[in-house]
Amino acid sequence: MNKKLEHQFVTELENNQNIVHKVCTLYTNDRDSHNDLFQEITIQLWKAYPKFRGESKFSTWMYRVALNTAITLYRKSKRTIQTQDYESVVFKIKADTYDETEEQQLKLLYGAVKQLGDIEKALIFLYLEDKNYTEIAETLGITEVNARVKMNRIKNKLRTILNP
Amino acid sequence: MDELELLKKDWQKKEEHLPKLSYEDIYKMIWKKSSSIVKWMFYISIIEFIFWAAINLVFTDAESWEFFKTLHVYEVTLTLTLINYAVLLYFIFKFYSNYRKISFTDSSKKLMKTILSVKKTVTQYVWFNIAVFTVSLITGLYGSLRYGPDSEKILDAAEQAGNQTIFWILTIGATLVIVVLLLLLVWLFYKLLYGILLKRLKKNYEELRQLEI
Repeated sequence: MNKKLEHQFVTELENNQNIVHKVCTLYTNDRDSHNDLFQEITIQLWKAYPKFRGESKFSTWMYRVALNTAITLYRKSKRTIQTQDYESVVFKIKADTYDETEEQQLKLLYGAVKQLGDIEKALIFLYLEDKNYTEIAETLGITEVNARVKMNRIKNKLRTILNP
Repeated sequence: MDELELLKKDWQKKEEHLPKLSYEDIYKMIWKKSSSIVKWMFYISIIEFIFWAAINLVFTDAESWEFFKTLHVYEVTLTLTLINYAVLLYFIFKFYSNYRKISFTDSSKKLMKTILSVKKTVTQYVWFNIAVFTVSLITGLYGSLRYGPDSEKILDAAEQAGNQTIFWILTIGATLVIVVLLLLLVWLFYKLLYGILLKRLKKNYEELRQLEI
């Protein structure tokens, strides 16, 4: 039984690992921290898995645990030196985009998102993942109205970072 | 904001550049030990429970009890000790049941609130122990000055040197200074310990809480 659960879990996570990688990308600055956070999220997911009864999609449930781990449980690593190599791999701008200005804009945007606070990053992340405000609000434990208000503030903040 | 739409489009295309872990990689990970702050908090709390329980045991061995009798503080100390154990049990129960409530599938706000409430339980326990410690210190001091083997000598010396009132004021003053210093030390220790551990969580919780006001 336990073996079956393990297999089920690992398979599900393997298929949905992109979600966790994206959270790690957002909250860490180098490969080691990325791997540390990935591992911690995996542990928390596994610990919570027996209680997951399929009332929502596995991926939906993952967003919550992954984000919660990133913003509450995880101690930021002291390593702050950003390795250029890591940044350029993770935030690789597609090579087939020939539009110089668009590419430049995206680079700036990713940089700006990186400067946001933990909660702000969580909101942006869910927004980028195409979650609606109901889901965003439920994940964070705030009202939908406040989620919208916060999102507007973040947009303004990004604007300020981009056009100082 | 059009830029954000641009970002969204790119973000969703980006998946192919993300790292890929194999089944075996992930399988290995699920057996690793967590290094989350909740784990740390759990260990620190256990140490605290053991530390204060040990202090109680050290100060209440058979020899001490006989000594307390001679100081006429036996009843007070016995009552304090009994209360102490009852409260210890209560706190362990409360700590454990709060700890069990920590669930990563709750909303972020609720999760952070639960974690902070666990920490609060431990802090309350520590303050309770400091209070008991202070009361024991005062009764002990009072007992030894009034009934201790050298108390008469001390009080006589005080009488000769001037008057007893000044002596008592000085004694009480010195006790207060010791207690305050002790409290300061403990407070500083906790500020540092939990400050480092929970700084980020507290900040994030405040941000969510502020949003709802």
